[in-house]
Amino acid sequence: MSSAAERSSTSADVFAGDGEIGHDLGQVAWASTPLGDPSGWPQSLRTAVSILLSSRFPMWMAWGPDLTFFCNAAYRRDTLGRKYPWALGRPASEVWAEIWPDIGPRIDRVLSTGVATWDQALLLFLERSGYREESYHTFSYSPLRDDDNALVGMLCVVSEDTERVVGERRMTTLRDLGSDPSVVRTEEEMLTFAGRQLSRNGLDLPFTAIYLLDDDGSARLATAAGISAGHTAVPRTIAADDPTPVWPVAALVRGESPRVPLDGAPFVGLPTGAWSQPPAQALLVPLLQQGGTPYGFLVAGLNRYRPLDDGYRGFLELAAGHVAAGIASARSYQAQQQRAEQLAEIDRAKTAFFSNISHEFRTPLTLIMGPLEELRSRLGDTDQGVREELQVMHRNGLRLGKLVTALLDFSRIEAGRMQARYEPVDLAAVTADLASVFRSAVERAGLTFEVDCPPLPEPVYIDRGMWEKVVLNLLSNALKFTFDGAIRVRLRAEDGRAVVTVADTGIGVPAEEMPRLFERFHRIDNARSRSNEGSGIGLALVRELVGLQGGDISADSTVGEGTTFTIGLPFGSVHLPPGAVAAAEERDISATAEPFVEEALRWLPHASATSAPDEVVERRVQETTTDAPPNRAHVLVADDNADMREYLTRLLRSAGYRVEAVDDGRAALRSARVNQPDLVVSDVMMPGLDGLQLVAALRAEPRTAGMPVLLLSARAGQEASIEGLEAGADDYLVKPFAAAELLARVRTNVKLARLRNNHARWRTALVDSLQEAFFVCDDSGAVIEINTTFTDILGYGPEGLPYTAKHPWWPSLETEPEAHQQVADALTLLTGQTTGTYTIPVTHRDGHRLWVAAAFNQVQDPDTGRRVIVGTFRDVTAEHYAVQRESALAALSIRLSQADNLADALHGVLAELKGLWRATRVLAAVFDGSHTPTFATTDPHQRWDTLTDQRRQILIAVRDRPLLTTVADQTTGVGIAVEHPHGTMALWIDLGERRPVTEQDETLLALLAGHLGQGLHRVQQIDQQRETALALQRAILGPAQLPSGFAVRYAPATRPLKVGGDWYDTISLVDGQIAIVVGDCVGHGLQAATVMGQLRSACRALLLQDSSPSRTLTALDRFAAQLPGALCATVFCGVLDPTTGRLRYASAGHPPAIVTSPDGTTRMLDQGHSRPLGVRGRAERPEAEELVPPRATLMLYTDGLVERRRQPLTAGIDHVVAVIQNGRAHPIETLATDVMNQLSPPGGYDDDVAVLLYRQPGPLELEFAAERGGLAPVRSALRSWLERCGLDPTKAYNVLVAAGEACANAIEHGHRDNPGGRIHLRATATADGLHVSVTDSGRWKTPRPDVDTHRGRGLVLMRALMDAITVTPGATGTTIEMQARIP
Amino acid sequence: MSTALTLTTSHQPDGTPVLTAAGEVDMSNADEFAVALTRAVEAAPGQLTVNLTELQYLDSAGLAVLFPHVERIHLVTSPLLAPVLTIAGLADLMTVTPA
Repeated sequence: MSSAAERSSTSADVFAGDGEIGHDLGQVAWASTPLGDPSGWPQSLRTAVSILLSSRFPMWMAWGPDLTFFCNAAYRRDTLGRKYPWALGRPASEVWAEIWPDIGPRIDRVLSTGVATWDQALLLFLERSGYREESYHTFSYSPLRDDDNALVGMLCVVSEDTERVVGERRMTTLRDLGSDPSVVRTEEEMLTFAGRQLSRNGLDLPFTAIYLLDDDGSARLATAAGISAGHTAVPRTIAADDPTPVWPVAALVRGESPRVPLDGAPFVGLPTGAWSQPPAQALLVPLLQQGGTPYGFLVAGLNRYRPLDDGYRGFLELAAGHVAAGIASARSYQAQQQRAEQLAEIDRAKTAFFSNISHEFRTPLTLIMGPLEELRSRLGDTDQGVREELQVMHRNGLRLGKLVTALLDFSRIEAGRMQARYEPVDLAAVTADLASVFRSAVERAGLTFEVDCPPLPEPVYIDRGMWEKVVLNLLSNALKFTFDGAIRVRLRAEDGRAVVTVADTGIGVPAEEMPRLFERFHRIDNARSRSNEGSGIGLALVRELVGLQGGDISADSTVGEGTTFTIGLPFGSVHLPPGAVAAAEERDISATAEPFVEEALRWLPHASATSAPDEVVERRVQETTTDAPPNRAHVLVADDNADMREYLTRLLRSAGYRVEAVDDGRAALRSARVNQPDLVVSDVMMPGLDGLQLVAALRAEPRTAGMPVLLLSARAGQEASIEGLEAGADDYLVKPFAAAELLARVRTNVKLARLRNNHARWRTALVDSLQEAFFVCDDSGAVIEINTTFTDILGYGPEGLPYTAKHPWWPSLETEPEAHQQVADALTLLTGQTTGTYTIPVTHRDGHRLWVAAAFNQVQDPDTGRRVIVGTFRDVTAEHYAVQRESALAALSIRLSQADNLADALHGVLAELKGLWRATRVLAAVFDGSHTPTFATTDPHQRWDTLTDQRRQILIAVRDRPLLTTVADQTTGVGIAVEHPHGTMALWIDLGERRPVTEQDETLLALLAGHLGQGLHRVQQIDQQRETALALQRAILGPAQLPSGFAVRYAPATRPLKVGGDWYDTISLVDGQIAIVVGDCVGHGLQAATVMGQLRSACRALLLQDSSPSRTLTALDRFAAQLPGALCATVFCGVLDPTTGRLRYASAGHPPAIVTSPDGTTRMLDQGHSRPLGVRGRAERPEAEELVPPRATLMLYTDGLVERRRQPLTAGIDHVVAVIQNGRAHPIETLATDVMNQLSPPGGYDDDVAVLLYRQPGPLELEFAAERGGLAPVRSALRSWLERCGLDPTKAYNVLVAAGEACANAIEHGHRDNPGGRIHLRATATADGLHVSVTDSGRWKTPRPDVDTHRGRGLVLMRALMDAITVTPGATGTTIEMQARIP
Repeated sequence: MSTALTLTTSHQPDGTPVLTAAGEVDMSNADEFAVALTRAVEAAPGQLTVNLTELQYLDSAGLAVLFPHVERIHLVTSPLLAPVLTIAGLADLMTVTPA
């Protein structure tokens, strides 16, 4: 590879983190910078550059003596502007020359101290867009070090805050403009106030002036801020015909918004505002008047360091809007003042007017309703749409007719022109008939309707039409204000009068309202009702009408319990004007009733034929989910009048909005929280939550605070609109309104809101786009804000906010106390620590279990200063259960692998399952075909036959299910059938009654059971292998019966097999000699064992044929050459004459045998040593001879006993020698155990070990008949053994006599009554002593010295001759133990 | 198999009668030894010398044979047997001469 190619490849590597920036960095002539060619860059620089390029966060860095500049794509986009790519590779001081006085010292400090800097929203004037630009940055400079840890540069992580800082500043001004608490003031006051507020923002508004237009088209300076009123730029007046006006008034009159360069003569010496330079341009904004020429215009000097972008322009327009609204408000107030004086006159004229106009209404209404009826009957069947439209017209026609009638009635009454016609009627029948008209509406409202009108004794004289209105009004009223319970109509004759009561169980009337209850046009504010519609004349009319019947009406009410209206009507007609009394006339209920019922039905849910609210919602859902483009503005309409709601929906939808319609303020609030509409259009008067309260509620929540609201009201007048705007509504429209006007307002508000809420929307969008769930808690732990992922994960949406602790997703304290506690602990952490993470179980809204991992931080809410906690979490359910499964599987596998056999394995697994589920106990029954199943459990006291019937039935039921299918019982536990090598195994986990079995429990159990089944089969295979191997071992390892005097040990390295490549052997040869062999084949395990077995057998056969150790090994060489794996086996082969202790031996590469004399001296049998088996060698194998002294210990062993890593073999041999020396006084078996224990490494032997020990002479064992004559041969044998023990004759004789006495005793006492029994004598030697025991099978008699003098003498002899004697009588015989020390 | 014991009566050059026991004395042949000893004691006019130097084994049954005759006999013994005779207390009651 050429060096140029190498370089380019290297620089490509360095800049690989970002394609575009990397490419441009690659183009830099690095060689001419102090950094040189990238191929020579230190690793630290390369790392820093690659971190920089791969980051999505804006960063730049400087490196080296010139602080050479690098940056990434995000920095280029956000901050660098036109300086890209020029800036790359240049000294930072050149790149940022204009702000070097600001940042230079900071960089110096970082480089000199190594401490990072932190600046928040620092103002810097950048020249990146062709002009000096006001910009704000939050950034940190961190030191960068080279490979030698020297400070050579710095990394800047920066986020630009310009938009935020400037936006907040402008918002402050707009807020200030609207902050005047005094609502009513003059125009002049208002303008002065506005000027003062504008002057407070000298950054965005270096100077301002407000001109008002007069009728003649001239402009008049109203107020100036930041500039003195005498300055030539703000002349007092600008005439309409001024040929060179300072400001282009004509354009502004046309509603234009011109930008004026401030470079002419009038603009010399302009004020600079908060800057050092005066503004270079001004923007002129008209003060628009609804439906007229502008009130005037606002002159705003522009901040020369910011571009006049949409944000700036929007700000100025909003400011002008505020001023315009203020002027409108002031002028309309003034107009109202004048109007108020006219009102009294108008009021007087009103009654007459009502009377006339109402009458006039009736004609066109009749002409509308008549043809409308005609149309309905004619077209109703043809077209659903037409029918619906006609229905709406008809309904509202009826309503209008009803209103007009009521007004007319009223004005007639007032004018005293009401004509009544009294006729005697059966009041009970008439009233009951009227009431029945309302029955269906009342019952549809879910109320009980009781009509109790028994016949009266005499007729009552009434005007039937008027009476109808009385009853219908009262019933309509009752239904409107009653939400549950009953409406009762009752008629009685009392005190000579007919008394009618209409009672409801509605909301009742507050006591302070009672006096005005029957007052005309009086309405009770804020009363909860089915509809806010109503004119306020119903009850006033009722009272007047009742009065006309000669009766009276009273009301009785308790808030929250209901209202009862009681009407008393006199019987007879004497109280009535005689001329108005007429005869009874038969007729039905008039058409008066229909409008009442129709209206009432519209208040009820689902009453509408075409526009039931759920249907509206359904349509909305369809729109939003299917055909709506995502950027279509979304408008939420709230109105309790179904017809109005539908009208607004149609209108807005036709203009391209997505519309959602709800029927009250509460529903609107819910929807606004969840769906975040662009605009809320709400009626002011709604039952439940009214429009003003809705606005207040929206403003109170961070997510909806910026949501624009357009209020609609039928209540005209300044007071109402001010009330709406004060509550925080953005706009206000009075009914009736033109469709075009509504659309224009909606459009404006949506546009302004989008502009204004850009920041908030961006934040919401950002939070909602997080893939992690996001939440904000207050310091009590109540969740006050969430994002959509939160809802996706937990199922709880923003409609339920705030969620106070304990949150609904907490696991139940009843059923899952542990999980509940975990969550409670997490809450303590959350509210107590400033930062942290936790993983907890939670419950999804639909009830399923989730695990979430959360991280949180405490922050200060910048608006309120309150401490809040911001957190995120993600769903780790799958990971949680995966980890649980993995660890359970691992634990199970360990249990299975540690087991030696099936029972062991099952026992371990049951314990593991019990621990895993924290179960009460775990049961397993293996149905292997026998009468009762093989049973295992974690409860040691439980057996199959002590189980309850229920448990047995459960286990049998589990067995009968398909394999590996869980059976859960919510009250007891969970079980599964597993394939056990001996049959189907039913496994049952008792969970206890308070633990429900979850789906995860079942999944985990099924998984574990699958592994368990396989594991058990594997254990069984291994078990069988081991059994086979043990059988093999028993067959090949060594003789079952050792000659006496020998002890052997065998420890294989490989578990669970108990065989290996080492062996020992003893072979009794025909001449009484004993061949002893210890060998070691290469390797471990079964493979080595098979080789070992063959070598051992061969060796044995060879020794039986020829008892020469060297010849045996030579022959074995030939055998080993034929046997794969036998090569290099080592063997120690000896032939021992136990009588003399003479040992001939030869060693094939084997460690030397050791002989330890009674005095502690040792000898290594290292003669006769030659090569391992099968290794070619010319020399014959040598043979050596050694005498094993009396009471000496001979040890043969394999290297596994003494060989240790990182230790010479001699160290091990020295160790074993020491153990034998110390134990030479122990019996040979004890010594063998000592050797194995004391030589064992801490973790057990890691190589096969075989050990063979022999002590000279071997023990003497004699058994003989209990006969007096049998003692001589016993003595003879003992005498010769004692000789082999190397005892001096006197000592030997003493032992002989003592033993003889013991035998004599055994014959005399033990077998006096049972001649012919057997006596056993055993004598063993250790280095420093002898041990003789004589055991008989009889019972000793109590010594009788008078008779048995010489027997008593025998005991005396034994005690005197030996060092210790114990006599142990037993049921089956007596044992005498005797010990003699050998000095 | 019975225990080998040879009992020989002879006279020392001074005419003192001597009973020589060779072999072993245990419970199986103590009676034989007793009969021979009693006979020799009765036959001897004075003290009887009992020579045990050829005796390989003498246990308590044999000692019991000697005790009744302590006043009439004089024992000649080997170093092997001496400790047993001493332990049995025989040496205190009669003359025991090492060979």
